[in-house]
Amino acid sequence: MEQRTLWSRMMSIDRRILYLILAVNIVASLMARVAIEPDVPPAVRNFYETIEALQPGDMVMVSSTWSAGTLAENQPQFEAVLRHLMRKRLRFTIISFSPPARDISHRLARRLTSEAGYVEGKDWAHFGYSPDIILAIKGMSEDIAQAIRQDVRRAPIQQLEVMQGIKSLKDYKLVVDITPSDTLTAWISYRPANLNIIYCPTSVMAAEAYTFLDSKQILGMITGAKGAYEYEQLLGIVGLGTRFINAIQFSHVLIITFILLGNFAMFMQRRTQA
Amino acid sequence: MDWIQEFLPLSVERINVWIGALCTFAIYSILYRENPFYRFFEHMYIGLAAGYALGPYLVDVIYRYWWEPIRADGIWWLAFVVPFGMYLYFIYNEKYGWVSRLVIGSLIGAYAGLTFQAFSSRYLPQLQGALSKVLWYPPNATGEIYLSTLINNWIFVIILLSVLTYFTFSFEHRGAVKRTALVGRWFLMIGLGTIFGNTVMARMALLIGRVYYLLDSWLMIRVGGG
Repeated sequence: MEQRTLWSRMMSIDRRILYLILAVNIVASLMARVAIEPDVPPAVRNFYETIEALQPGDMVMVSSTWSAGTLAENQPQFEAVLRHLMRKRLRFTIISFSPPARDISHRLARRLTSEAGYVEGKDWAHFGYSPDIILAIKGMSEDIAQAIRQDVRRAPIQQLEVMQGIKSLKDYKLVVDITPSDTLTAWISYRPANLNIIYCPTSVMAAEAYTFLDSKQILGMITGAKGAYEYEQLLGIVGLGTRFINAIQFSHVLIITFILLGNFAMFMQRRTQA
Repeated sequence: MDWIQEFLPLSVERINVWIGALCTFAIYSILYRENPFYRFFEHMYIGLAAGYALGPYLVDVIYRYWWEPIRADGIWWLAFVVPFGMYLYFIYNEKYGWVSRLVIGSLIGAYAGLTFQAFSSRYLPQLQGALSKVLWYPPNATGEIYLSTLINNWIFVIILLSVLTYFTFSFEHRGAVKRTALVGRWFLMIGLGTIFGNTVMARMALLIGRVYYLLDSWLMIRVGGG
């Protein structure tokens, strides 16, 4: 019978044991009260300062196209952004370009705005679901009331108090794109020239957006739940990003350890066999 | 006892949370092994997602953009739009398949026009950004330029040129061009590695989100962090 070495045993660990270790690690780090000082990257700082530079009453469009599948990454971003907008007493409207995103963003926004004393229709509005982002942006750039017609509660757009003095996207100061899909390129391509964009992608999408940051087509970016944590630190609030960050960091340390151990064991096993 | 009272699914809100926890356990049971419990919930999830989308389609698209303008504003010609869109289904008919091409042609024409506009607003600023990189200290510099900025700009230009060389197929890669293209390929690999690393972070965040839900909403353990 072939003698099993430590290295061959390491190479054949049941994957379910690794999953279990990972789960225990996540539970432990979620419960841990460890504060890790963030090193806030320039993209997040610029994101924060772009909103800070707006004046009370300025209008912001929140493009919210995420749903349950990326809730853990986009919800912390969405909550932190809305809190920041309300702290600055900005007016905002939300629009969704995927069907499930409409209700999730509307429900969350209603909860957050009621906590801050914002009134739907007066201080903010939700434009509901729009099936085609390009046509929606081009239509809103000309005439929002004509392009959107009704908010999610079926109230006519032109009768909403929040839309006083707003005719088209040209009257907005900023777009915040919170998304797990490729909506950013549509905003960049078809927005009015004076409209600035800041971006909240999932981690998967972030790497491709650095070219837009470099060319100043977007002014700032917060990446996934980690970016939300860094943003929350600038805002001085404890949100979902702050609650998730320990688990994110410790789970990455664990995965890197697994990768190193696995490679080391494979290397040693080959050496032993040779 | 109070905790148990609050924990049990005795209210609509708690029943929702319990269903959420059950779905989470069912979906993650695949990590242990393939099982019918997982299969059932997987199919249910797909079915729910597809069915759920129907509501916003009817309310926010058909009602808002079609029915209301015809009914309230009297824009009668919109009545022809939906039947025209439905011509697409002629694609399944051998004899009248050509009718579907009317719709397809309209769509292609519209989106081709939109793409021209997108090209200029999407790529020209990037081109301008790439060409206006400062690569040395200007002799009469009024603004402050850090050494780190210069180094970053040089790295940017080297990567840009080497990757562009890799994608140049007009002539055979030989000598210096071949070596530059090889460097470009390595930079591409590093870029793809970054995207993959971010993917791991995204997937991990999704798992953490579900564990947080189980602890915070289901078990009602207030978790901290940070």
